[in-house]
Amino acid sequence: MGKPTDLVQGTVDLLILKTVALWPAHGWAIAQRIRQVSKNVLQVNQGALYPALHRLEQQGWIRAEWGESENNRRAKFYSLTRAGRKYLQQEEANWERLSAAIGLVLKTT
Amino acid sequence: MRSIDKLRLRVRSLFRRTELDTELSEELRFHVQRQTDVNIAAGMTPGEARRAALVEFGGVSRLTEECRDERRVNWIQDLGQDIGYGLRMLRKNPGFTAVAILTLALGIGANTAIFSVLDAVILRPLPYPAADRLVLIWTDLSGAPRAPFSGPDMNDVRTRSRLLQDVGGIWVGRAALIGTGEPEQIKLGFVTGNFLSLVGVPPARGRLFTARDDVNGAAPALILSDGLWKRRFGANPEIVGQAVKLDGGMATVVGVMPENFRVMYPPDLGVPADVQAWMPFGRDVAQDPRDLNFLRVLGRLQPGASIGAARDEVHAIAGQLRKEYVVDSKQGEDFDVVPLQTETIREIRPALLALFGGVGLVLLIACANVANLLMSRAGSRRREVALRAALGASGGRLFRQLLTESLLLSFFGGALGIMLGWWWTAGLLALRPKSLALVESAGLNFTVLGYAFAISLAAGILFGLAPAAEASRISLMETLKSAGHGAGFGRNRLRSLLVASEVALGFVLLFGSGLMIRTFLRLVGVNPGFSGGHVLTFQIAPGFKRYPSDASHAQFFEQLRKNIAGLPGVDAVGAASHLPFDDYPNWYSYYWPEGAPIEAQQSVMADHRATTPGFFAAMGIPLIAGRDFSDADDASRRRVAVVDDLLAGRTWPGESALGKKLFVETIKDGDFAPGAAEVIGVVKHVRYARLVEEGRSQIYVAYAQNAREQLAFAVRTGEEPASLVGVIRAELDRMDRDVPMSKVRVMDEYLRDARAATRFTTLLAGALAGLALALAAIGIYGVTAYSVGQRRSEIGIRMAMGAQRADILKLVIGEGMAWIVAGLVLGAALSALLVPWLSSLLFGVRPMDAVTFAAVAIFLAVVGMLACYIPARRALRTDPIVVLRYE
Repeated sequence: MGKPTDLVQGTVDLLILKTVALWPAHGWAIAQRIRQVSKNVLQVNQGALYPALHRLEQQGWIRAEWGESENNRRAKFYSLTRAGRKYLQQEEANWERLSAAIGLVLKTT
Repeated sequence: MRSIDKLRLRVRSLFRRTELDTELSEELRFHVQRQTDVNIAAGMTPGEARRAALVEFGGVSRLTEECRDERRVNWIQDLGQDIGYGLRMLRKNPGFTAVAILTLALGIGANTAIFSVLDAVILRPLPYPAADRLVLIWTDLSGAPRAPFSGPDMNDVRTRSRLLQDVGGIWVGRAALIGTGEPEQIKLGFVTGNFLSLVGVPPARGRLFTARDDVNGAAPALILSDGLWKRRFGANPEIVGQAVKLDGGMATVVGVMPENFRVMYPPDLGVPADVQAWMPFGRDVAQDPRDLNFLRVLGRLQPGASIGAARDEVHAIAGQLRKEYVVDSKQGEDFDVVPLQTETIREIRPALLALFGGVGLVLLIACANVANLLMSRAGSRRREVALRAALGASGGRLFRQLLTESLLLSFFGGALGIMLGWWWTAGLLALRPKSLALVESAGLNFTVLGYAFAISLAAGILFGLAPAAEASRISLMETLKSAGHGAGFGRNRLRSLLVASEVALGFVLLFGSGLMIRTFLRLVGVNPGFSGGHVLTFQIAPGFKRYPSDASHAQFFEQLRKNIAGLPGVDAVGAASHLPFDDYPNWYSYYWPEGAPIEAQQSVMADHRATTPGFFAAMGIPLIAGRDFSDADDASRRRVAVVDDLLAGRTWPGESALGKKLFVETIKDGDFAPGAAEVIGVVKHVRYARLVEEGRSQIYVAYAQNAREQLAFAVRTGEEPASLVGVIRAELDRMDRDVPMSKVRVMDEYLRDARAATRFTTLLAGALAGLALALAAIGIYGVTAYSVGQRRSEIGIRMAMGAQRADILKLVIGEGMAWIVAGLVLGAALSALLVPWLSSLLFGVRPMDAVTFAAVAIFLAVVGMLACYIPARRALRTDPIVVLRYE
């Protein structure tokens, strides 16, 4: 397995939204989860993660609340808003379409 | 998400900044701690674990900044910070700040002033309701386009046109206002009853005229201008309904027009803007003879009607009239419609646009200068910028910071510029040519302020962009390493390019104003056909009510002329119905020599002037052949005429004109009709209307045989002309106290007026060119001084190695001059491209005048060389030892 792939701009948003869609999570956990689920292929570093979280919050897709972390520290938990859920569905559909299309092109040529 | 929620988020971001920042750092700290915990769990010591977590995390301050940026309102806070910081920077460098602001203020001020004139004259509609529907309608006679209308023709257009809502006419004459103080000759606009309502401005008091005032024998009504009402009647609120004495009769004041109301006509139509009162013709002009063309006709289009359609329609009406009046010499006649606004500003428009372009160039030069200043300052600020970059400021943030500083400069420059502009606009108003009445309304309004603000902003971005981009791109390592020495060559090239473009723009301005100066000199050199230096002129209209017959008029004038001739110091005296360059409506008509075939009879026109003996001598109009009029040429004798050499040469080439019979327009009891006159003299042609063109030829007829309502006297004296005014007034008083003497002026003043528009343009163009020259010289000086300063060590070494002063001078000046010459070439090319736009302003000079071209190039090159030489010489004083030690 090679090095974790740098993520295409914009896909970070999608990954974050998908991750917090399941249950509320703080930044560190989000990064971890993306790495685990993608089997270490995708790595979101902090330099991209936190600005993206703040951007998504400002856009209203996610909301932030302070809570207790798994090891009893105060942490900021992000969860999906209703608008965010709708947006996620839309983006997921887009992604499916795009990847399917790319797949087609790659297969035929 | 609803926008209200978003707004709440933004407001929170804006006003709970500290709280958010604390939360942010807590959030990031948590991340590091969580990673540390994991590392410890993986078997690291706590110290190692924390270090590893921090390394993995990367730069905290940068990340914090990026997260803040995502809040979307950060720019407001940044802006506040940037402004504060920018203001501190400006205050720290007062010299730089003052020069930059002053430079910008000069550029913006000049633009504001010219734009305020442009706004008043070109952009703003004429001050009438729905002014875009007002049109001028004129007759195109063969040989005389833009001719006035006759009453019946105007009436036909009015009744037959469906696209013209209304049509009315004006003719400006004079009348004596008597009573309540000195008798005074006023400019009186004789109008059709509908004329003022057609213009559309309601009266300040009383009423406008109506169709009832047009009826034959209607009681004479008068409407006063605001100026006359205030000056002559002390702004009497009870004026409406009062009778005033006018030309020996009475007229009832029915209204007063509002302040600043003027009828704006193109300057050549004999309808000056300073008409002081209006009066109906008092008769139905539709019943005038069909060939008596004197009405300057104004029309108002129906809403939605286009000029083109109206033009087609009046052409069609003219066609009908040509068919209906075959015998009435309508054959060469056509009508035309033009928008009043376009026509009124037609002559001044190109000059204003050229000046507007000129100030634009000046502003560009000012911007180039400030950009240069900023860049040389950027050189010394590189370490500061690099430090800020090292502390986590992003390139974009630095760029914004630097641009904010530029915008601050342009803001202050703009504020000062608006003040300068306001002051300069007042100056322009004082200098304005009289024919340019519209300029009077120039001033600071919202449009002008908005424009000044916009160009300030644009200037700030323009001169700030390159230096800011340049500075924020600075490579960190390089700068910190080189510790502020030796500027990059790239930047110097950009600065030199700026200098070259300044020189190019300066070239265009200097060349343009050089052409204007040559034009003005040519205009001064024009021989108008008379010599007006020692000629006092004034105008007399005794009034047909007091002197009802032609004979009594002639007698009065003859007496006055004889009395004046007897005064000490008077060399010659005479009078004519029209003076050159006066705004009195011109009198011109057809003429033909005896025996001309019928179709040639109504084809050529000449100016006609009713003249007394002595006029040619008094005006200094040379008599070429034959004789002047004499007292014997009175109403009882055969009609005589004097023609100018142009007419004589054209009509009887190779023959003497003397003794020939010429059919001219004659006046008997106020009626104009063609009549034969014998040519008794030939005088030199006089330019009557415009200095720049020959104009129509002239026919002088004897006043005693052709009475007009007024005469302009010319009195030649060897003394100061003004010294005669008192004694002449006393003579006049002795004859009739109620006859006013108006327009008392030295003849040269009329000539000066004729040159006023060109002088105005030339002065402004010269001022702009001077400004451009000064700014460009400062720019060249600044760049050379900077580059010499940068290369002090190089120069020191060269000198230590034995280079001669001359070599160094050659080196420095040579490099500077290379760019200046490049600028000159570019400027020459630009001029060749732009100058054709000036051609309508020029007279006697070709647009690509070689003399001006060479003079400007040499002049600019010399100025440029001086601006290089001074800093270069300073560089030579450098002691090599000092430089090398410093290094």
